[in-house]
Amino acid sequence: MSAATLCLHHFAEENYALEDYQGGVPRWCKGCGDNAILAAMQRLCRDEALRPEKTVFVSGIGCSSRLPHYMRTYGFHGIHGRALPIAEGIKLARPDLHVFVNTGDGDCCSIGAAHWIHAIRYNMNMTVLLHDNHIYGLTKKQASPTSPIGTRSNTTPRGSYLDALSPLTVTLGVQNVSFVAQAVDWIPESLFQILTAAYRHRGFSFVRILQRCPEFVGNMFEPWVHDPQRMLMLTHADGIRVSPALQKIYRNQLPHDPADINRAREIASSEDPIPVGILYRNPEVPCYEDLRGAGKLRTADQVRGTLDAELDKFTVWPQ
Amino acid sequence: MDSRLRSQVVFHLTGRQPDDGGAEQPLPAGLRPALLAPYRKLESIRHDFPVVLAAGPGEYVVSLAAAVDGALRTAAPQGLQGEAMRKRALHIERLIREAVAKGAQGTLLQAWDTAVAGAGTDDAWRREMTAVRNALAVDGELAGCDSRLPSRFLRHAWAVVQGDKARAARLRIDALVLRLEGILRADYARSAVAFQVANLQQTFGGSHQALFNFATMSRLLSPAASQGGLDTPRRARIEWALRTLREQAFFPPPGDPGAQEANNGGFAFDNVSAALESCRHRLPDMLSLLKALSLAELEVEGQFVEQLHAPIFDGMQSQDFTAAELQFFPDYLVTLDSDAPGVQADLGNALSSGMPVKVLLEVRDLLEEAAPGQGRFSFGMRGSQLASMAMTFGDAFVLQSAASNLLHMRDGIQRGLRHAGPTLFSVYAPADGESTLPGYLAAASAMQSRAFPAFSYDPGRGSDSATRFSLENNPQPDVDWPLEFLTYADQDLQAVTEELAFTFVDFLLADRRHNRHFAVIPRAHWGEGLISARQWLESPPADAATGLPYVLAVDDADLLCRVVVDERMMRAAQRCRETWHRLQELGGIHDSRTEALLAREKAAWEQGRAVDTAALAPAAIPAAPGDQPSIAAAVPDTAAAEDEAAPNPDVAYIETLRCSSCNECTLASPKMFAYDQNKQAYITDLKAGSYRQLVEAAESCQVSVIHPGKPWNSDEPGLDELIERARPFQ
Repeated sequence: MSAATLCLHHFAEENYALEDYQGGVPRWCKGCGDNAILAAMQRLCRDEALRPEKTVFVSGIGCSSRLPHYMRTYGFHGIHGRALPIAEGIKLARPDLHVFVNTGDGDCCSIGAAHWIHAIRYNMNMTVLLHDNHIYGLTKKQASPTSPIGTRSNTTPRGSYLDALSPLTVTLGVQNVSFVAQAVDWIPESLFQILTAAYRHRGFSFVRILQRCPEFVGNMFEPWVHDPQRMLMLTHADGIRVSPALQKIYRNQLPHDPADINRAREIASSEDPIPVGILYRNPEVPCYEDLRGAGKLRTADQVRGTLDAELDKFTVWPQ
Repeated sequence: MDSRLRSQVVFHLTGRQPDDGGAEQPLPAGLRPALLAPYRKLESIRHDFPVVLAAGPGEYVVSLAAAVDGALRTAAPQGLQGEAMRKRALHIERLIREAVAKGAQGTLLQAWDTAVAGAGTDDAWRREMTAVRNALAVDGELAGCDSRLPSRFLRHAWAVVQGDKARAARLRIDALVLRLEGILRADYARSAVAFQVANLQQTFGGSHQALFNFATMSRLLSPAASQGGLDTPRRARIEWALRTLREQAFFPPPGDPGAQEANNGGFAFDNVSAALESCRHRLPDMLSLLKALSLAELEVEGQFVEQLHAPIFDGMQSQDFTAAELQFFPDYLVTLDSDAPGVQADLGNALSSGMPVKVLLEVRDLLEEAAPGQGRFSFGMRGSQLASMAMTFGDAFVLQSAASNLLHMRDGIQRGLRHAGPTLFSVYAPADGESTLPGYLAAASAMQSRAFPAFSYDPGRGSDSATRFSLENNPQPDVDWPLEFLTYADQDLQAVTEELAFTFVDFLLADRRHNRHFAVIPRAHWGEGLISARQWLESPPADAATGLPYVLAVDDADLLCRVVVDERMMRAAQRCRETWHRLQELGGIHDSRTEALLAREKAAWEQGRAVDTAALAPAAIPAAPGDQPSIAAAVPDTAAAEDEAAPNPDVAYIETLRCSSCNECTLASPKMFAYDQNKQAYITDLKAGSYRQLVEAAESCQVSVIHPGKPWNSDEPGLDELIERARPFQ
């Protein structure tokens, strides 16, 4: 689209409000952290003026995956663990859409783990939100791959036996990783900043969001929610900056250059304090859709030519 | 002073051989700088040339050696058999290199076939070479490093960029045509005309027409026809845009190289005025196409508003084109000769025209002497000066390089061709026959000796010189002259290694026209008074007799000799070095202002340190630098914390910034709490609810950001219990 056209588009467009992205009434449990993620997402859409008809939210199965229902944009509530391949298909066929993926720790890191690894490697331009509450909530409390060791649940009544999987270190270990960040639902401002940076990054932006589940693991993040000093804000000119108002609360800060992957891996391994910010960003990693030149529009002649060629294969000419 | 030394000094000072039998030898033919001795048989050395001007996807230009290496990686098996195959393929590569050096033309595959045909008769051998040929991933015209290279290289690169541009533009245009046609087709399909008997009949195959009653069908369908359809102005707009897009003459249909080549021909010129005239002539068509594109994009999105957009389209003028809009159209390629009269004015016109003009300035001669009669000897080094001057045109992309370096500059050349603005490529390729060296070496030595340094100035990279200007690819850019080691056998056949600088004088030595400025000194006359040209340039001696500059050279038989240089050449070398210094400063090397600042700060620091050293105790030594701060020990800024005034615990407040939008408080007490524009809660009216509601809201807040303060209504029942419940949230 030419500069003139864009200008004219902007001329004619109205400003969006948060309500323009508000779908149905959220049906999450009382106090669920997903509400904060939904609010940050709607704020991002509004501030980036994403046209609802050009935006799609894709999800798998789980509490997190209900989010597309609450956005007044396009949405695709997929099947368990398969949000990423669906999102990749959408991006290939419709590169003009802004693609967001909402997935949970069970959806992404368990049944969908294989898709997750390869989606990182493909580095297609989309923003992935991993709602990580350390538990299967929708099915009423079963241990997930990110449940800390000792978590008592319906499937692990004596406490889980294995160390939790760290989605951050896994992502940072895959080839072609281009953007990794961590946010928490109880610091909405930094969540919004991180999601904005993730959206603006061209490539596979992976944001792990630690999310409270007051219903089933109400105490999981309590120490960090109520003690701001146990949060570690990563700051950098190329990362996010903590606003003066937030600095008054979250004083524990660590300068971290997102270009430094080794340091990112070190920080990603920290569980206490919880790091919040952009761990790694590399805008130079090529996107799969660019490498394949995918998603080009087809002209009328090309469509007709292909159809004719296909139909001619099966034509029986009268003798 | 003996006669030998006197004659050398006279030569150095005057450039003339003395008449008193100084016995200096005339300059032997084929003399070249000693550092170039290993490259006498250039064709037998694998180097960047010839290059393949590749057609098709992938790199647009690759060296012959890289192409053969790539093919061998695929075709040659591991082990002895593979090694033999590699050896034979490299022999063919060498034959091709020799053929191109002798002027052979054609594509890589043609040259390969010719070389194989002339090289051997063994069938197995031919089969192997055919396998390598089939594995060659690229094909295209071969180009050696001769005087024609810059124009061939640039023309090819330009054609590749034009092809990419045309493809992208056609995709955009064809997609719009498709969608505009869709609008008209949809309108027609729902119109009453489409439901007329004759038109309905046409939609069925001939053999089935008899089976249907089209009159009845028409009667039944006609009431369903849409009333009105497209309004007349919109239809006219769409039809105009469609016509303009279909008839545009800037981008030929994709998939037809002949049409693309013919189209390119209309945009390539050898003089600036013709190119600009052609550009001006095309402006109305460019304006129409841009209008049609914008209009079509608005129409297909259904965003065209007559009252809003019509005046804007009516007012669009070609003078308002932005660089980005101009970039959409094909660029103009203008090839200029740096020695042509009026080239400076032409270049100024081209670069300031605001048109997408890509200028190739072919510099053939760096050593042409200035017109006679001038008081001071100087070289006509206009070529490099023109490129430096062009950098003053703020938005112009400038790239200067010797022809030998073009392959390494291929990415820069692509950037220049894709630059949204005028571009100048200044390329030095020596005219055939002026130098005793082959074209590749002559061009490379111009760059090596700083006579024609490579640089690029890319306004698209940033807003300051540090990001825009680059001295990339120059050998050892931080020193005056590149230093290399030369190893040779002395008279006793012992190996001697010497560090030599490749100076401007070495470059001059290879030019036949300047032989008179050099004189070979017989070995018997190598005396104390001789110093290397590099040494002379670093500190010219006050007395010529104590420091006669020489350069090391080799003759046809690779015998080493010393060659005295006259003073005029040495002065020219000094000027060359000054020009190089200016470029270095632009590139941030030895920046005089920074160095002055650094010296001042260093002096101040040392002065301060001297004072501190006396006062400091040993315990005050700081921690070792370079340690990363520990993650666990990232200490909070407690000083700042103490500065903050604590909120009044008696007054209710909410930390809006930390609200996680969970809807609890807003649903429980909608009159007391509301969301702000970011969907974070704040207290609207405290008195709209009771203290009990406030305390319950604080208890239900999952992130504990509601602080109830003290009750405001002392008559509220159960206050004591509520105050107790509120205590944890104060």
